[in-house]
Amino acid sequence: MDFCLKQVQSDCEELLSRFQRSESVRFENFSEIWREMKFFQIFYGTTKRQKRMFARLILDKAYSFFLPPFSFQIRVGALYLLYSLYGCQTASPQEQIRVPLKDWEDIKRFEKDAVDAQHLDVVYILRQLMAQKAFYFTAMPTLLSYNKKRKLQKSLQCVGFMEPSSRPQELVSTELLEELAHIHGLYGKMKGSVFPSTEQSASSVQLIRKDLVLELRRTVVDFYQWQCKKESDEDEDDGGEGTSLQQECSKRADLLASIKSKAFGQASETCRSRRHRHVELNVSSNEVGSSGFPSAQRLSLKARTKRDVRISGDMRKEAETRTQINRLTSLDFPVTKNIQKTQKEVSSEDDDA
Amino acid sequence: MAASRRPSDPSTNIPDYEYQDVNTKAFHIGSFRTEWLNRLKPSDYSFQVEDEDAFDAKFAQELGVNAETMMELKSVCNVESLRCDDAKVDPEVVPPDSTLQTLVQRKEKQDLKASKKFFKNRHELYADELERLTIGKNPELVDDMVPEGELILTINVFYPDVIEKFNFIRPHAALLMMGSHTLAELRDAICCVSDLQVCGEFSNNPDAAPSFLSKDHFKSAFFYFEGVFYNDMRFPECVDISRTTIEWAESHNFPPFSQAKMEDTRFVDLKVKVGFPYLYCHQGDCEHLIIITDIRLAHRSDCLDKKLYPLLTHKHRFTTQKCSVCHVFIGRWFTTGDRLAPSDPCLFCDKCFRMLHYDAQGNKLGEFQAFPFVDRGAFN
Ligand SMILES: [Zn+2]
Ligand SMILES: [Zn+2]
Repeated sequence: MDFCLKQVQSDCEELLSRFQRSESVRFENFSEIWREMKFFQIFYGTTKRQKRMFARLILDKAYSFFLPPFSFQIRVGALYLLYSLYGCQTASPQEQIRVPLKDWEDIKRFEKDAVDAQHLDVVYILRQLMAQKAFYFTAMPTLLSYNKKRKLQKSLQCVGFMEPSSRPQELVSTELLEELAHIHGLYGKMKGSVFPSTEQSASSVQLIRKDLVLELRRTVVDFYQWQCKKESDEDEDDGGEGTSLQQECSKRADLLASIKSKAFGQASETCRSRRHRHVELNVSSNEVGSSGFPSAQRLSLKARTKRDVRISGDMRKEAETRTQINRLTSLDFPVTKNIQKTQKEVSSEDDDA
Repeated sequence: MAASRRPSDPSTNIPDYEYQDVNTKAFHIGSFRTEWLNRLKPSDYSFQVEDEDAFDAKFAQELGVNAETMMELKSVCNVESLRCDDAKVDPEVVPPDSTLQTLVQRKEKQDLKASKKFFKNRHELYADELERLTIGKNPELVDDMVPEGELILTINVFYPDVIEKFNFIRPHAALLMMGSHTLAELRDAICCVSDLQVCGEFSNNPDAAPSFLSKDHFKSAFFYFEGVFYNDMRFPECVDISRTTIEWAESHNFPPFSQAKMEDTRFVDLKVKVGFPYLYCHQGDCEHLIIITDIRLAHRSDCLDKKLYPLLTHKHRFTTQKCSVCHVFIGRWFTTGDRLAPSDPCLFCDKCFRMLHYDAQGNKLGEFQAFPFVDRGAFN
């Protein structure tokens, strides 16, 4: 039955990417696409035993999109896909959706997010599947028979289904900033207490930027805005929306909190859909080439760094000159560089995947 | 926050991969079950399906939804709306004009198949048979019902290592067992020809052969899982055949192995890796690989009659070796040094063997040696 795995994967991806382009998490939109593609026919023409085997295969495939790192919207799409496949399968009795124990927490968190955002259709469908006993509560997502399977190449489409990186935002949370400010204050005081007179201490010991915390925060905000802008720039067609997007970004008072919930916002959904279109362009150009990576990703490390690394404001000059070894030990190490580094690591990880 | 999302505490019994898509790390099966049950409501793994009205009422109440919205939600999410087919299309036929890649491929395959003469594989036929017998079967007595929240394990048993050609191609048999089963029950469910082997030369008294079945004489056996040998000690004549290996390992500075009794060990007591090959050894040196391919909570669509477990869901069917005289019946005897035989050794069915080698009074004719033969296909 494995012979059709590639075809099944590409059909699922096509459905999910159409759903992604709808920029919606509504089941209505999903079922429209499903009907348009006549996806229910995917079970047609399978013979007796194949019915069960094929249902098993496609449910397993669809389930793989239901987990992080895929974006909330794709996961919703995957849930709808599971629900629809489960309901339309021709096997009798029905094949169940396999849920491994290690994924359960992710699913509960997904449910909670959907409840919090009042996505009634998402919650309804998830609970319907539970009530219909559509799940096998398993140890692992597939049966393991010590067979080395051929590795299915991770499709480029999948990359477009993932959340844009938000590591810096996650790392530099409000709590962290508060804690940092607190420690920074204590540290300053401690250093000051070593000296008898206050004016002497101020100049000689305060080697670290005074506004460390503020600057860290500013840099992350800056990074996020740049990220939004970069994504919107990548698609020239909707330049107009891009500006509204930036306004959207700056409007948010508590940026860091909003990033967490961005999956529900229209803003990030447009971000992602553009991202996806960008990737799709690469797919068509890639079909000619023999390697699994599109030409755009075969840029040199330097070019990729230039493209992906965000350098904020007056730090640009500083960062563009090569980092000297002695700089690494200097006390006044620019915070920005750390963040850039994180981002660089993340983007290079993406490339490797 | 993202980093701390999935604590990789090795002491947990939440199964995870040791090698991606191949096998898991070792975990305790009983604790794995407990972890699931702690996370689920009894209704989640119940064999009963919740009443639809009750579901709607609960949903509306929990999410603060009014009756009108509920109606709308139900109509939008209706599965029927997903099958918008014109009645002309037959679900048994591959739609010819689909844009889905899966169907394009299926159509091609089917056309190709139609152009050739096609026989259904015997394995497939037999699998159909097994499946039909077991699916969704309910017991006559309530006491025989598989309890809700019970574990179902899928166990693959492979050929003994000596038939190297068949190893790892197909499991010899696949069994479903419950978490409460003991390893001794697994042992009894494994059919192997070497248990039916009869040792000895019986040309002078062929009628005596059946009473020398190996399984009645050599009852010792063990399973090996994660550093522990589980010996069969149910009968007085059983000996601990793992002793030799354990002592050898000790004398060669290997990590220590321990022993337990298979009849006292239930699956829920075991610590195993799912997908990892373990060992079953019987008749001294007949070794089978055992792989637990799946562990999950029992589902309402499972066979719910306890008495039908261990449940065979797959069995490899061998081609059998036929009698060299009649070419009809499966061989039961082989002879050597036999002047009456066309080859040495030579295989005979019981009837041909006796007709050729004995007179009407049962007297042996000529010189030859005869050994009982058990075909691998004897369990087909
Ligand atoms: Zn054996
Ligand atoms: Zn014969």
